[in-house]
Amino acid sequence: MENNYKKLGLSEAELFAFADHNDLESEKITAPRYSYWKSVFRVFFRKKVNVVILCLLVFMIAFAYIYPAVTHYDPFANLLDPDSKHLSPVAAIQYFGFDLKWILGAGASGEPTFDAIWNGSKISISLAFLCAAINMTIGVCLGAVWGFSKKIDAIMMFIYNVVGNVPVILIISVMAMLFAPTFWTMVFALTVIGWIGIAYFIRTQVVIIREREYNLASRCLGTSTVKIAMKNILPFMTSVIVTLLATELPSYISYEVFLSYIGMGMSEQSLGRMIYAAESAMVTPGWELEFWSPVAISAIITVVLYVVGQNLGDASDPRTHM
Amino acid sequence: MGKYVLKRLLYGAVSAVIVVLIVMVLIYSMLDRNKIFSGDPAYNHTASNGRTTYEYARWEAYGYVDYITYADYLRDQVKAGAMDAETQKAAAALGRTPEKDPELTAEYTARFREEYESQGYEVVRLDADVNKKGRVKDGGNPAMFAVKDVPLLQRAATYFTKMFQIDSIHYVPEETDIGERGLTFTLYDPVYGGEKFSPAIIGNGTKYKYQLYFDDQFPFIHQNMLTINLGESFTVNQGVDVFTTMTDTQGAYVLSSITYPTGVVMDRADDLHTATYVEGSKDSIAANAERFTDDYTNVRTTKGGLSRLGYSFVMGILSTIMAYVLGLPIGLMMARHKEGLLDKIGTVYIMFIIAVPSLAYIFLFKAIGTSLFGLPGVFDMESSSKLMYVLPVISLTLPSVANLMKWMRRYMIDQMNSDYVKFARSGGLTESEIFTKHIWKNAAIPITHGIPGSIIFAMTGAIITERVYVVPGAGNLLTTAINRYDNAVIVGVTLFYAVLSVVSIILGDVLMATVDPRISFTNKAR
Repeated sequence: MENNYKKLGLSEAELFAFADHNDLESEKITAPRYSYWKSVFRVFFRKKVNVVILCLLVFMIAFAYIYPAVTHYDPFANLLDPDSKHLSPVAAIQYFGFDLKWILGAGASGEPTFDAIWNGSKISISLAFLCAAINMTIGVCLGAVWGFSKKIDAIMMFIYNVVGNVPVILIISVMAMLFAPTFWTMVFALTVIGWIGIAYFIRTQVVIIREREYNLASRCLGTSTVKIAMKNILPFMTSVIVTLLATELPSYISYEVFLSYIGMGMSEQSLGRMIYAAESAMVTPGWELEFWSPVAISAIITVVLYVVGQNLGDASDPRTHM
Repeated sequence: MGKYVLKRLLYGAVSAVIVVLIVMVLIYSMLDRNKIFSGDPAYNHTASNGRTTYEYARWEAYGYVDYITYADYLRDQVKAGAMDAETQKAAAALGRTPEKDPELTAEYTARFREEYESQGYEVVRLDADVNKKGRVKDGGNPAMFAVKDVPLLQRAATYFTKMFQIDSIHYVPEETDIGERGLTFTLYDPVYGGEKFSPAIIGNGTKYKYQLYFDDQFPFIHQNMLTINLGESFTVNQGVDVFTTMTDTQGAYVLSSITYPTGVVMDRADDLHTATYVEGSKDSIAANAERFTDDYTNVRTTKGGLSRLGYSFVMGILSTIMAYVLGLPIGLMMARHKEGLLDKIGTVYIMFIIAVPSLAYIFLFKAIGTSLFGLPGVFDMESSSKLMYVLPVISLTLPSVANLMKWMRRYMIDQMNSDYVKFARSGGLTESEIFTKHIWKNAAIPITHGIPGSIIFAMTGAIITERVYVVPGAGNLLTTAINRYDNAVIVGVTLFYAVLSVVSIILGDVLMATVDPRISFTNKAR
């Protein structure tokens, strides 16, 4: 017994010194240090598959932006060369000599399909990120207000019911005819009423947690509405918003493909427009790659974006941080 | 409940009207009206004054403006009896410039100008377009017309007042002598030779000859007393109403031996029950004189295929049934064996459908279906094979089954942590009892809300699927109309969709309240 405290390597005086009693300190509740975003990434990177997919996503986005900038893609470079059209990969490599850009063959105007799909990816990814950024910002902010105020709720529900019934295709085509069907018109057309669906979703989430007991308790203790919104509701919404983003981002790429396919897309050579232009090539033997390459790349991009977003959404739910 | 539904319907009607107003603003006010000429070959053959008058005539046809030419005005004067044909001919001759008008012309152009300017029209007089030699150029003839933009509210008002048309015996102009006007009730429909028992109401003086009749087509009893006009198509299906465009049968004619009113029997596809009145049509066409005894000669034809709505609905309803039959049990099993193999496969499938562009997987399944299973990849109305329905129905089912699986699993898992489940388990119920008797019933409540909607929206069709498989359905009507600037069709289809969505949401609420007695819409308890 005597030897026990000697093992600790402390002198007797140190061991039995008086501890100061501090009233302020005793009021504090100690908990392990917890940083929300650190935990999010710790949980996210715990799964090895997430690391792989994230690397793939980063690589694809980087490639889509860097590759067309480096190679200076010109779709009409071989326009006057009649032998360069609709070549299979083997024929293209034989005709032009081996180069990375010919590994998927040549398209309808002799353009390298490989270059074309990356150029298209760049446009489609830019569109998706821009539209998602605009729609999510407006949608989340307005949706929060919409959910909080019962007066605004009544008005907004009516607007939602009306605007929701106007066909989106009609609005987009009117925009495309009003202005030239460019990239920016498409961004405008997709965001002009695109936010309303997101706002409605957020509104429903806010309505669900608005009446929770802890919010009632906060309000009884005199917390301001802004603080309740920032401290009680927004943290709860983070994982919902990230999950929503995971479905929104690929949906713009899909939607752009769909619009181009029905002939209402933009004039830039996006992935959707490539698919639209190459539709007839699908059934022509030997030309299938012209159609399937943009389809495949758009599918890969959307899947990767979706998986990363979903897993990030799961990781941003604090209940998974144990 | 009834009062509540009525209120909702009223709100829905108001929102549908607003939707129509928005769409009218979009297409009539915001769009550049010169766009309609971009795909018009006839436009490039016009020149000078001819081009201007052609533009206005087309704009009137598309519903942008009210356009009355001086010649129309003179013709109306003759019809009204204020002028005889000789004077009309003389007054119609416009001079190269207003100063060169003959006296009579000057008098009538002044009257024309006065009458229409007082009504708010802009009266335009185009001088002859003369070349250097003093000859009138091609299309350069002088012209005079009155024109006015149709205001939005007036357009909407006429649209809604014209929408429901009740047939009456005063449809045929009163001055036309067509014998005694009235409705006659017969027990022996003359279309069937007057011997078979089949009640019908036949009108004289009405637009439709047969007001009420029976036949062998679903729903067996038909009426023509109240017709719905959603707007007359201009380019998509010229001169035919949008509603008729959607509901009329398509494909090859079905010939059968038909006894015409005169007693002539011929192998034709005419459906005599649809006869409408066209003034003077019996005597002006020799074939009609031989077959018909009156001016009710304009008949629709019986065709072998279904209507646009019909094809879309058959495919839609099949895929909806399949989606519910597959999606709900799979979702249930996924929730029951959470983290199991089925759950993992199902999650991957849901992810695939959400993430991959719908165009991509529809093409993928088409490629698989046609090459591996040898299924027909193109829809053919004339073919009697039912196999051609397989691929379109599958490609419609794929996304909806994923959606149902996703939500069913979500709702089931949400219910699994409830207290009543713990109580049931502690009471010794087996897991399958808990799942099928307790959780399933509660989880299915939000699912029921979507059932009326998915059935109703089965008829509107799917754009991509119908395009990929060349199905003559209703899905592409809106996009075709937009591409061809058929304004009336755009408005009509939009209104149709809006009404469907209003009705399906209300029906969903009603169904949900019927299934779950706890839900009540009468006292606001939110």
